[in-house]
Amino acid sequence: MLYSIEITNPFSPFSTTQYMENLTNSILQDPSDELLIQHFKDGRKDAFDQLYYRHLPKVYKRVRYVVPENDVEDVTQEIFIAALSSLTSFRGDAKFSTWLRTLTNHKVAEFYRKRTRKQEPPLSPLSDAAAHTTGSTSKTMEERVYLQRALQDLPENYREILLLRFAEDLQFNEIAEMTNQNLEATKSLFRRAVAALRTHLEK
Amino acid sequence: MDKINKNLDLQKDDQLADFADQVINGNTKQNASPPTDELFGLEETILRLNSSLPPVSLDDAKVKQMHVRFKARIRREEQSVTSSFWQKWFSRESTPQLALAFAVLAVVIVAIVGAPSFGLTGSTSAGTAFTPGSIFLAIGMAAVFFILYWFARKR
Repeated sequence: MLYSIEITNPFSPFSTTQYMENLTNSILQDPSDELLIQHFKDGRKDAFDQLYYRHLPKVYKRVRYVVPENDVEDVTQEIFIAALSSLTSFRGDAKFSTWLRTLTNHKVAEFYRKRTRKQEPPLSPLSDAAAHTTGSTSKTMEERVYLQRALQDLPENYREILLLRFAEDLQFNEIAEMTNQNLEATKSLFRRAVAALRTHLEK
Repeated sequence: MDKINKNLDLQKDDQLADFADQVINGNTKQNASPPTDELFGLEETILRLNSSLPPVSLDDAKVKQMHVRFKARIRREEQSVTSSFWQKWFSRESTPQLALAFAVLAVVIVAIVGAPSFGLTGSTSAGTAFTPGSIFLAIGMAAVFFILYWFARKR
C-alpha cells in the first residue's frame, strides 16, 4: 500500500523528526492490512476492528450475492469470527483480502452444507421467497433466490469472475491483475461464465 | 479460418464485457445486440442478474450496527469458552449434587492409591502403598471418570 508521504531530501527544510512524525501519522491514519495484522498479533486486539470496518462492505456484498437475504448478516459475522480466530495463523503468503475472500467462499459453502444436512431444500425459490414476502415482491425474491442457486451451482472459476465483477465491482483489468491473467483471457472467462449461468437458468 | 473465428470471439468477449460495464454503471437497460445474435441471450442474463441482485452499499449506520453486534457475539463466545467443562461441572450453583459426586470420586481414588494395603499376615501396621490391585482399581475408576467426561463433552 502506498502512503502519501513526501520523501524529504537532505536539503529540504523538513527535519528527520518531522519526516518520522509524518510517517507515523500517515500509518496511524491509514495503516495497511499487513501492519494491522502485525499489531493484532502483538496483542492490540483493536486492530481487528479496523480490519472489520475496512473489509465489511466487500464481504457483505459478496455474501449478499450468494446467500438468501435473511442469512446475509449472520453468514457475514461468521466469516469475521472465523477470521478473528485464525488471524494469528495468517502467514501473509497472500494478501489479507484474498485470504478473506477464500474464507468467505468456505463459509458460504458451509452454510449450504448445513442447510442440506438440516433436510431443508437447498434453496427452494418458493419457500424462501414466499416465507418473507408477499405479493409482487415475492416474485422478485423468488427470482433472486433462483439466481443465487444458479450462481452457487456454477464451477468455481465461473462463479468467482461473476462475483468479482458484479458483487465486488472490480474492473476487468483489476480482475486480470488479481488472477494473474491477461485482459483477453479474463473477458473470455467472463463470457463463458455468463453463458454457463444462462444454461443453468434455462434448466 | 481459425484466426477469423478467434477474432470474432475476442470481439464478442469485448462487446459483452463493455455491456456488463455499462449495465453496472447504470447506463444501459436494454440489450445492445440484435435479437438474433448469440450475445443477445448473454446480455439478457446480465440484465437479469443486475436487476435481481442490484449493487448495494452499506451505510455507516448499518456498518456500526453490525460491528456492535459482532463485538457482542465475540464477548458471548469468549464467555462460553472461558467457563470450561470443569468449571461448569464443578460449580456448585449449576449442579451441586454432581459436583459433590465428582469430588467424592476424586477423594476415593486418591484414598485407594495413597492408603496402605493391609495384609492378613504379619503386623497390622505392615502394609504397602501402591499394590498392583489398588493401582488397577484406581486406573479403572479413572477410566470411568474419563468415559463420563467424554460423553458429557460430546453432548
